[in-house]
Amino acid sequence: MGAECQYELAQAAYVKLALHALKHPAAAVNGLLVGRLLDGASSPVVVAVVDAVPLSHCPHHLPLLPTHELALNLVEDHFGAQGLTVVCYYHANALRDDADLPAVAKRVGDHIFRNFPRAAVLLLNNNKLEEAVKGKNREPVIWCAWTWV
Amino acid sequence: MAAAAVAAMATAADDEARLLRLEEQAGHGGGGAWEYLCLARKLRARRPDPVLRLGLALLNNSSARSRLASEQWTLYEQVAVAAMDCHRLDVAKDCIGVLSKQFPGSARIGRLEALLFEAKGEWADAERAYALILENNPFDQIVHKRKIAIAKAQGDMSLAVEYLNKYLELFMADHDAWRELAEIYVSLQMYKQAAFCYEELILAQPTIPLYHLAYAEVLYTMGGLENLQTARKYYASTIKLTGGKNTRALFGVCLCSAAISQLTKGRNKEEESSELQSLAAEALLNDYKQRAPSKEVLITNMLKNMKLS
Repeated sequence: MGAECQYELAQAAYVKLALHALKHPAAAVNGLLVGRLLDGASSPVVVAVVDAVPLSHCPHHLPLLPTHELALNLVEDHFGAQGLTVVCYYHANALRDDADLPAVAKRVGDHIFRNFPRAAVLLLNNNKLEEAVKGKNREPVIWCAWTWV
Repeated sequence: MAAAAVAAMATAADDEARLLRLEEQAGHGGGGAWEYLCLARKLRARRPDPVLRLGLALLNNSSARSRLASEQWTLYEQVAVAAMDCHRLDVAKDCIGVLSKQFPGSARIGRLEALLFEAKGEWADAERAYALILENNPFDQIVHKRKIAIAKAQGDMSLAVEYLNKYLELFMADHDAWRELAEIYVSLQMYKQAAFCYEELILAQPTIPLYHLAYAEVLYTMGGLENLQTARKYYASTIKLTGGKNTRALFGVCLCSAAISQLTKGRNKEEESSELQSLAAEALLNDYKQRAPSKEVLITNMLKNMKLS
C-alpha cells in the first residue's frame, strides 16, 4: 500500500526506553513498545505508542528465543485488556558507534508484524543519548530503523 | 550436591544484596566506603560510578589514605579502572602516574597503562603495549583477554572468536572465557557452536544451574523436536539444581512442552513428560500467587493457551 506511517511516542514510553539504555551503559538492551493504531484511514497513518516494556540487558539471554516468546505472550495479554497491542521493538547496541540492526531485532520485529502490520523497529543512537544526558542536544535519541511497508 | 549449589547461589545473592546496601549507605555519607570498595573488588562487580566517587573521596582524604597504608595502592588501581569505565581519563592518568612512581617497571602497572590506551580508543598503542608485556610473560591471561576485548570493541567479532578460541586452547579451564565465547556465538547466531561451549561448561562444572539454563535456552532457540526435548531435560535439571526456585526454568519447561506438543500433534504423548509439565505449571502458579498475585491471571491464561493446566 505504501501509505506513510507516523509513530507518536508518549513521554512515558520514550523516557523509559532512554533510562533503560542509560542504566546499562555496557550492555545491549531491548524492549517492547505497546500502543494502538490511532486512525488507519488517515494519511499518514498514525500509531500512538503509549508505553514501553523493557525486556533484557543480559547478553546471555538477549538474542535467545524463549524469553522473547514469553515476553510477547505476556505483554500482549496484559496490555490487551487495555486495548493496546505490541507495536514496536526498541534496541540499543552495546558498542557506541554500532549503528547496525542485529538479527534478533529483525526477528522480533517479524513476530510483531504478524500481529500488527504497522510494526517498526527503533534503534537508539548512543551518541545522541550521551549528548542528551550532558544536556547538549535535545534531538530524539532514537530512529526508525525498520518498517514493513 | 544440589544443596551445595543452592547454598552457593544463596550466598552469592547475599553478597550482592550487601554490596547494594553498602553502596546506598556510603553514598549518603553513612560510612562503610572502604568495606564497600573491598566487597566490590572481591565480587568483581562493575559499578564504576560509586567506586569512582567513593574511592576518590578516600584517596583525596590524606588521613584516610595514610590509614590504609599498603592497601592504598590497590585502591589506586581500583579507582583507575573505575575512572576509565566512567571515561574520566584525567583521573585514571593521575592514579596510574602515582602507581608507576611507586612501582616502576611493574607489569601490573604496564597493563593499566595499556588499558588507558584502550579507553582512549588508541588501539594500535594498546596492542603494542600488550605485545611488550607478552614478550616477558607469554602466559599472562589478563593481557590475552584484553586483546580479545580490543577485537570486540572494534566490532570485529570473527577476530574476537579466533583469539578466544586460541586462548581456550591454552587455558581450557577458564570458564568465564567459555561463557564469553558462547555469548559471542549467540550474537552471531552460531547456535551450534554456542551449544558446544555450554556443553564444555556443563561437563566441567555439572552442578552450576546457570550453564544448564543457558544451554536449554540455546537449544530452544535452535528448535526442532530433538533439541526441544533435550532443552526440556536441561530446564528440568536447572529446576532440580535450584530447588525449584528458578522461574525462568519453570517457564522453560512449559514453553518446551507446548512447542513439543505442537510438533507431535497426533502422535502418542509420553506419560512422564505430561507429569513434568503439570508440575512445572503448578509450581509457576504458586510462585506467582506468592510473589506477584496481581499477575497471576496472566499466567493462568498463558498456561490455558498452552493447554498445560
